Amino acid sequence: MKTLSLRNLGKTYFDPYAGAHVTAVHDVSLDVEPGEFVSVVGPSGCGKTTILNMIAGFIPHSNGEILLDGKPVHGPGPERGVVFQSFALFPWKTVLDNVGFGPKMRGVPKAERDRIAREYLALAGLSHAANRYPAELSGGMQQRVGVVRALANNPDVLLMDEPFASVDAQTRMTLQEELTRIWQERKPTVIFITHDVPEAVFLANRVVVLSKGRVLEQIDVDLPRPRVWDELVKDDKFKQLSARVLQMVRTA
Amino acid sequence: MNLLLQFWSGYTRLTRRWPGVAAIIPFIPVLALWTAISEAGLFPRAFFPGPLDVVRSFFTLTYKGILPDYLQDSLIRLLTGAAVGMALGIPLGVLIGTSRWAHRICWPILLFFQAIGDIAWLPILLIWFGFGLTTMTFVIVYTVLFPVVLNTVLGVESVPRDLARAARSLGASPARVLWEVTLPGALPNIITGLRNGLGYGWRALIAVEMIVGTSGIGFMMFDARRAGSTVEILLGMIVLGLLWYVVDAWILAPLERATGQRWGLVTS
Repeated sequence: MKTLSLRNLGKTYFDPYAGAHVTAVHDVSLDVEPGEFVSVVGPSGCGKTTILNMIAGFIPHSNGEILLDGKPVHGPGPERGVVFQSFALFPWKTVLDNVGFGPKMRGVPKAERDRIAREYLALAGLSHAANRYPAELSGGMQQRVGVVRALANNPDVLLMDEPFASVDAQTRMTLQEELTRIWQERKPTVIFITHDVPEAVFLANRVVVLSKGRVLEQIDVDLPRPRVWDELVKDDKFKQLSARVLQMVRTA
Repeated sequence: MNLLLQFWSGYTRLTRRWPGVAAIIPFIPVLALWTAISEAGLFPRAFFPGPLDVVRSFFTLTYKGILPDYLQDSLIRLLTGAAVGMALGIPLGVLIGTSRWAHRICWPILLFFQAIGDIAWLPILLIWFGFGLTTMTFVIVYTVLFPVVLNTVLGVESVPRDLARAARSLGASPARVLWEVTLPGALPNIITGLRNGLGYGWRALIAVEMIVGTSGIGFMMFDARRAGSTVEILLGMIVLGLLWYVVDAWILAPLERATGQRWGLVTS
């Protein structure tokens, strides 16, 4: 497990229609320790998805550095797993082959990568769906596949870009609880982008509040685990923290 | 009323058991009308033959070996042209679909040449290559190429960006993204392109065979005109229709549906 460090990260791009340079991310510095769960919240347009895309290597950064265990990263790579809001499952592959895709790219033989994929599917309670195609699954199940597909590749950092934004409210709560359970079992390093404040607080050890491309505040969340919605909705500390973060986001 | 329902029920069960029957039944009134007109004696027999005359001519020409030979010639020309068209069209489509610069440069040129119909090339091709196989192959390849390229580009561009990103972040190299994501994602469109291409190519081939031909179904029909044999012209037309129906409805359309629907890429 490795430390992820952002050093004075910035992103400026040229907008040909406006004919001007636009700065989406000004100057973001952040360290994420191994096994930490960090939520990044902020109003839309605050640059949170841009930051995630830079860490994932999907878009180049203009200033600063992205270091994984002290080494700069360039372009996408398997040590940084990504979970997408759009799920991004391969429609022509079965669930099993979707989850086994990362190991396949590493050259793991078919029998072994099927074993790995089944192990991770069991972790998310999806063993029965192994031979189905993504289009045959509900949104919630598709995103479970998306999460374990990223995990099955054993990334140093798991980058999640509003992964539960497009499922219904009840499913979302279940997925959040499952994610905290899986995180406790496997302790992956997670950066979780969201605009949903209770979700950010519920999941994280630390909440980073962004505003206009800068880090506004970082708040530690020392709520006990395992975390369950039925209990946390009544928890004063959770309410207090959520209210504090919400206020920051709304005035940001 | 009850009888009608019974008939409907019988028809439904029959066509479910043998779906081919559903395609044949609509032709029964057409054949009946044709027979009626030819039997009524409104036109001279040599000018307007009936279905039975055509069937007789089918057996004669098959027995002589002319029809099978010509059909084989036409099909081989079409398949060769289609193979070359795909071998050129799919890579070109992938290139244009993935590279913004290739798209900017090639797209206007493609649209320009698409507008010059296959047959419009014939005058200059006849000067360059003469009345021969080269001219025919050029026209078929040309006809197949455009639907394949345009649909491949469409298919490649319709693959969601997140799929390529997901593959990259799972450790796929750009070359593997092409193989594992871009091509399978574009496949339903590529098959649509092939289906259209073969359809256009088939028609173009018949036209070219009439002008250039030394053999083939198109040549047979045009040759029959010279001999004043209406029966053979009608036979050629029927063979063209039947053959295309079989290829399209029994091979290409199911293939197109199978790739699209199973993957949930096509919603209908």
